[in-house]
Amino acid sequence: MSEQLPLSGVRVADFTWVWAGPFCTLQLAHLGAEVIRIESESRLCVTRRIPPVADGQAGPNRCGYFNQYNQGKHSICLNLKKPDGLDIAKRLVAASDIVAENFAAGVMDRMGLGYETLKAIKSDIIMIALSGYGATGPESPYVSYGPAQVPMSGLASMTGFPDSPPMSVGFSYGDPNGGLHGAFAVLAALMHRARTGEGQYIDLSQWETSVALVGEGIMAQEMNGAAPQRMGNRDPYMAPHGLFRCQGEDRWVSIVAADDDEWQRLCAVMEKPDLTSDARFATLADRKDNEDALEAAVTDWTATRSAEEATRTLQAAGLAAFPAITNKELAEDEHLRSRPFFATLEHPEVGVRQHAGIPWNFSDTPCHVRRPAPCLGQDTEDVLQRVLGYSADEVATLKDNEVLT
Amino acid sequence: MSECPSSMPDPQTPGPLHGIRVVECGHMVAAAYAGKLMADLGAEVIKVEEPSGDLARQRGPYPGNISHPEKSGLFLYLNTNKRGVTLNLETAKGQALFQRLVKDADVVVHNYHPTQIASLGLEYEALAQQNPKLVMTAISPFGQTGPRRDYTAHDLTMWSAGGIAFLGGAGGRPDLPPLKAAGQQAGFQAGVNAGIASLGALYARLSTGRGQHIDISVQECLVAIMENNYIAWPYDQTTPSRLGFRLIPQDVLPCRDGYIYVLAVEEHQWQNAVELMGNPDWADTELFQDFFARSVNWDALKALLEDWLQDKSVQEVYHGAQKRRVPFAPVSTMGDLLKSEHLNARGFFAEIGHPEAGSLRYPGAPFKFAASPWTLRSPAPCLGQHNEEVYCGQLGLALEELQSLQATKVI
Repeated sequence: MSEQLPLSGVRVADFTWVWAGPFCTLQLAHLGAEVIRIESESRLCVTRRIPPVADGQAGPNRCGYFNQYNQGKHSICLNLKKPDGLDIAKRLVAASDIVAENFAAGVMDRMGLGYETLKAIKSDIIMIALSGYGATGPESPYVSYGPAQVPMSGLASMTGFPDSPPMSVGFSYGDPNGGLHGAFAVLAALMHRARTGEGQYIDLSQWETSVALVGEGIMAQEMNGAAPQRMGNRDPYMAPHGLFRCQGEDRWVSIVAADDDEWQRLCAVMEKPDLTSDARFATLADRKDNEDALEAAVTDWTATRSAEEATRTLQAAGLAAFPAITNKELAEDEHLRSRPFFATLEHPEVGVRQHAGIPWNFSDTPCHVRRPAPCLGQDTEDVLQRVLGYSADEVATLKDNEVLT
Repeated sequence: MSECPSSMPDPQTPGPLHGIRVVECGHMVAAAYAGKLMADLGAEVIKVEEPSGDLARQRGPYPGNISHPEKSGLFLYLNTNKRGVTLNLETAKGQALFQRLVKDADVVVHNYHPTQIASLGLEYEALAQQNPKLVMTAISPFGQTGPRRDYTAHDLTMWSAGGIAFLGGAGGRPDLPPLKAAGQQAGFQAGVNAGIASLGALYARLSTGRGQHIDISVQECLVAIMENNYIAWPYDQTTPSRLGFRLIPQDVLPCRDGYIYVLAVEEHQWQNAVELMGNPDWADTELFQDFFARSVNWDALKALLEDWLQDKSVQEVYHGAQKRRVPFAPVSTMGDLLKSEHLNARGFFAEIGHPEAGSLRYPGAPFKFAASPWTLRSPAPCLGQHNEEVYCGQLGLALEELQSLQATKVI
């Protein structure tokens, strides 16, 4: 008997590409679904083309971006412009529980793979479309890239220093966030199908899933006609609340004192008795009024220490602190390794690499990454024969006719 | 697209999680957002608060900026569609009552710190003894195991621990610290992960008949989303930072009346952007001849773009660019979003009244289900609003017992 995983027996026909969509189906793969990515040699996924590449050597199977976000999946190559290719895609849908796609609104319809068509093939199919703007509304045909979601959602307008323009958050946050919300939605639809027997179409807008992250900003606007101002790393209800310079080049530690008591403890840890009685810092209101001086006082202490030492000292006193750590430190982190968080996988082209793994530990049906990200089209024959019932001869003919490219 | 659902769901249609019973406890964002995601899709969520209330009630925004535990915009947003009870889990009676509450629940989701779990009676083994089908999702800063298990945290320190803070901030300004994203982003990410894991375990239960415990680390949730920035180390031993070179020519630039986000990654998009700008001579020079050159010479290009944008409106540039398939986007303010023709045409904002905070528009369905819609059925509960309904109506306590629990400050 094969091991039981949460989504054992669930198959996903994965038409997604780039990031939001593949991140959605990654969650399903992590939960044990059989995720089959439909790829094409002539329309290579962007993440198979951009850095980082293993050891500086480019190639569609050597990209860290793709290999990180497609762990555990299968890959088949199909030419959907050929009728036989489209036919295979439909047979795959007939054998699947879920269809996922993240093209601009309307593209799947034009390819002949719209929801009504697929529903006629598989009546209880669950289909999720993760587009930038959603499938309806006047701007739905617009072009959207993940990085645009941070500005569009208003997150950028509230992120930044007080005298700076709106700022990004350092990565394309709208993509994984859309993908995660999409995975949640698919799981809810699976629960609905289990209860009612009914599949359905889910229209996910990355713009809307991004606005979901700034709910309190929307509420502020509704209540008071104004949104929170950009305030760097500061917080209206806690001070100090920031990143403070430490010893070393570009080293910083984040420190938060949540209330007056924690501020007093922070002063004790910093061995600055004069600060404990300093009237400028007595209450939250005082500390907010004198926050530049407050931060300078904390920096006096952090600047002569490493971020790690500052963190250890503060955490020993029960205060929240952590270095602004780098990817190298994450990769070498003993705590994360002990969990164990990383998925260390041997890949046929890039060898053993340590990927970010699954952030949930299930006690009864433990999830784990079952295989590295697929090489382009590595499962084409297997899926056609094992899942769709094509004979070896039929596959050979399809290959000759350039359907499997 | 004709097959898309209408934007106004029929509130009579049950959501996809109809019949699922969830008990949520903890503070602030992570557990509450997981609870909200499930409640908004039809699950029956009971929010258990300490008698002093969820700490989110102590954070604004508040109407008129006047603190009030029933009017926190953060709390109101995160707790729609839930019923609320109070319970002191530090007392034996409180824990006994919690066990009764959980006996028939499908899911418990909480974000109490690992150091508090035993003293609050939240150990899974004990709860599972009387309800082996229980799924329990525990969210904590660094997880329930490992050398940093006991570390304390806030959203800012988690954004740092997840490696994301190091990526954000002002390029070219090494004097400024890394920058956190606005709001409570670590909490939201942990919340949606907790939602996924909880539903995954419920789906597993359909075959196994058993519940289980799920340990979620906020740090791991963040490391998992950082685009190609974590994996750069194992693949080519580089460390991206806010100060490093960015391959993508993109930025937020000022217009006459706000900011526009400019991005043109594909060559045809750039050519169309040049056309939109009226084919200026500078666009023809070697400095900007391809994607890579435009990345390297971004500072020069940015100045030219700023010059072009200064007398234009955001909406004029946005729609003009999009008509040419150039993916520029407005840098929305909260006010812009509430007025957005597109979001309103999709019925995104949902309005509901609250006894203390009044009628307000909330962010609505982030995904539209054709057959079993997202709905806003009730506003966030007032503190202890459903004590009688839940403790007497559901658990069968007599009214006198309820009063005695109130008198002894158990609820």
